[in-house]
Amino acid sequence: MDKAGFIAKKFAQLLFTLYAIATFNFLLFRILPGDPLRLIARAGRLSPDAVARLQELFGLDRSRWEQYLIYLKNIATGEYGISITFRRPVMDIIAERMSNTILLLLVATIIVIVIGVGLGIFASMRRGTGTDNTLIVASMVGWSLPTFWTGLLFIIVFGVYLHALPIAGVLTPGAVYTNYWQLIGDYANHLILPTVSLVIVDMAQFFLITRNTLVDVLTEDYITTAKGKGLSPLLTMRRHALPNAMLPIITTLALYVSLVIGGAIQVETVFSYPGMGKLMYDAVLRRDYPILEATFFLMASVTVLANFISDVVYRLIDPRVKNI
Amino acid sequence: MVISKKKFALLMVVIMVMATVFGCGSADLQSSGGDTLRIGWNSEPDTLNPLTAYSSESMQVTYLIYEPLISYDTDLEFVYKLAKSFEYSNDERSITYHLQEDAFWQDGEPFTSADVAYTYSLIKDEELGEAAQFLEYLDSIDTPDDYTVTFNYSEAQAFNCAPVIPILPEHIWGEMTADDIEIFSNDNPIGTGPYKFVEWSQGATITIERNDDYYGEAPGADRIIYILYGNEDILIQALKSGQVDIIPEVTPTLWESLEGVENIEAVSLDSFSFHQIGINVDTRGNSGGNPMLLDKEVRKALNYVADREKITEIVLAGHGEPGSVLIPDGLKEWQYQLSDDERMDGDIEKAKAILEAAGYKDTDGDGIREKDGKKMEFRIMASEGSAVDVRAAQIFRDSAKEAGIKLTLTSMDENTMGDLIYDAEHPDWDLYVWGWDSEYPDPSYLLGIPLTSQIGMNNELYYSNPRYDELYSRQSRETDENARNVIVKEMQKMFYEDGGYIILWYQDKLQAYRTDTWTGWEPCPGGLIYGVTYENYLRVQPVE
Repeated sequence: MDKAGFIAKKFAQLLFTLYAIATFNFLLFRILPGDPLRLIARAGRLSPDAVARLQELFGLDRSRWEQYLIYLKNIATGEYGISITFRRPVMDIIAERMSNTILLLLVATIIVIVIGVGLGIFASMRRGTGTDNTLIVASMVGWSLPTFWTGLLFIIVFGVYLHALPIAGVLTPGAVYTNYWQLIGDYANHLILPTVSLVIVDMAQFFLITRNTLVDVLTEDYITTAKGKGLSPLLTMRRHALPNAMLPIITTLALYVSLVIGGAIQVETVFSYPGMGKLMYDAVLRRDYPILEATFFLMASVTVLANFISDVVYRLIDPRVKNI
Repeated sequence: MVISKKKFALLMVVIMVMATVFGCGSADLQSSGGDTLRIGWNSEPDTLNPLTAYSSESMQVTYLIYEPLISYDTDLEFVYKLAKSFEYSNDERSITYHLQEDAFWQDGEPFTSADVAYTYSLIKDEELGEAAQFLEYLDSIDTPDDYTVTFNYSEAQAFNCAPVIPILPEHIWGEMTADDIEIFSNDNPIGTGPYKFVEWSQGATITIERNDDYYGEAPGADRIIYILYGNEDILIQALKSGQVDIIPEVTPTLWESLEGVENIEAVSLDSFSFHQIGINVDTRGNSGGNPMLLDKEVRKALNYVADREKITEIVLAGHGEPGSVLIPDGLKEWQYQLSDDERMDGDIEKAKAILEAAGYKDTDGDGIREKDGKKMEFRIMASEGSAVDVRAAQIFRDSAKEAGIKLTLTSMDENTMGDLIYDAEHPDWDLYVWGWDSEYPDPSYLLGIPLTSQIGMNNELYYSNPRYDELYSRQSRETDENARNVIVKEMQKMFYEDGGYIILWYQDKLQAYRTDTWTGWEPCPGGLIYGVTYENYLRVQPVE
């Protein structure tokens, strides 16, 4: 199969997966017991007429099939309707929070890859030494620390005792900025603790997979040959070892994208970070269907997309999967 | 070797560069200038539409922007806002308000009686929001001139609902239909109040600033910022480290941790709220509840089983009063005081005696009583999001076991539980633990829960007692406070004896503030803020 055909096939699979996810999401929240208007009616002591008007406004009085079709149309057009809680278009609510979450994840992911892969290379070249063992143990410890716990610890140490770093939000409330650099600095300052909390936990997987793959690769005959040709260890690493170790790293990356979203929800809650995490959590409790449908669909899409990209990249860099 | 060291050095450089980039910049940030009151909360408002919003966070913000005609001060006495004075007609069915003549909307338009008439008719005609329940008997509204408005009711009104109705600008809201208003998030609220809306940064902060054109006395804070925190523990840390000035809601355990902390005052105030075990007493014929609960003697026994003092001590760490009747002790003289004979509380022997006498006996020796071949087994639900409710249910379950009643506890999320409880077609449950909050310093709201007319709405017990209903409408028309007090107390006694609610406790409102930033917080039942009064926002002054 040629490359275009392969990508087209993968893309068709991608679309089908998204459709299946969308349908599953719809059913999941409608089957879940509970009612988006029940608690609103209780808190506001609404009359049955007022409740009926709300049901009509949010289309909750329609049949499941009708609601499903409207929902599919919404997804296809990128419109997700109006939030039952916030009474504003769902896309408005999500846009800002989504960008906060993406920024956090992007910064964290880059650092995780750079440090994780870097340390993996470093350790693989010193296999069996004290440094190698220390790094392995340290990364395992980091991996096993619960994010909410490290987060809380950072808050108490750096926020409360040292007063060195902000513990919540993305910007200092009420701050006045005289120039853009101050704004960016404030933003960056707020990113430090959440990012470090994510990095400590997530770095280990990249470190370990890089180190272990490289340790295997470095014992291969062609490495010995390369060394025998007189290549420097750096060149051996770059030309012969790393390319062969890339595949598991890419797989890890694709898996990581789906895992990091879960981690971000925890970190966002601990650091009061205005991202998607708390929005989704509250929306589940309130059964805010439009927000739930949009956020879960977007999150699932990111995961599916990451897998799609890794499949394609895999095919491009690994000659062995050409004929699959 | 050499190379790997280089690589490591490179990494270190990358880390250091990142640290420098991140680390600089905000240490020298200027403060906003002037005095900012910072309030920490852990839940965000739904909308800023004062008619349809249902979160207390939303009310906190909108009531500083939109004003009612009158409001409550910290002694729960009326304080004038958009009205300068008011008087009742001789038959007490009409109330005339004389309005502020120098009040303006924040967009410069003058405020007049037409705005008042518009707001009240909108709420009544379209049944918009919570206040609609109080305007049921409103017949007509007269506006003889721009600064006088008269409400004519078909029956005298014991409760003056003006403090819970914010006045809206007709020139902005007038063109919207009820449907429009339901989905109106009101992103740029314009009111007459002491504060103007500045910004809502979603998921983070809401900022309001002093309205310099306000007709009344200028409040102390230049601006008020509400800051959202992800959870209660972080909120406490933010208070300790001086990033917020006041926390309006503190859990009992965290409250204890604040006692004796320098520059922090933790306060415990009476509230208008209670938590209860509700019993399904539906007799309409389609209930899935255990029919044994329809036997008043069984409900009595369950009331005796609940040791309110023990539960309050364990669950709330003592930050509440053991419960009894429907009206919490925050409502002071409205509360009926039970005599020792009337009180059904924490006496398992008595519960056993009642059950024995009513024919519920453990004949097969398995520790569970039975009658007519049916075992005394009930289901009890609690909201998993509320640790205090689950704990209370566990204690109650264990006490019930001693009395020979088997309870099976299920915890579920609040929404699921609400759906089961309020399923008026087929209420398939026996007992639950939940709570009610009232934001009115008046007994009407809480007394109104078990009305027959509230079945399908707030009456989640499906309790129906024509005598109770009749007393309710009598008290709502009784403008003589002493006469009304007698009826209100009779209703509490009646409902208590029927045993539909096992009221566990009246929780205290626990709050905490910093003493080194703002001063002048005046204690008030219901809360310094977040309760019935908004005067503390206006009263506090920066510490010199």
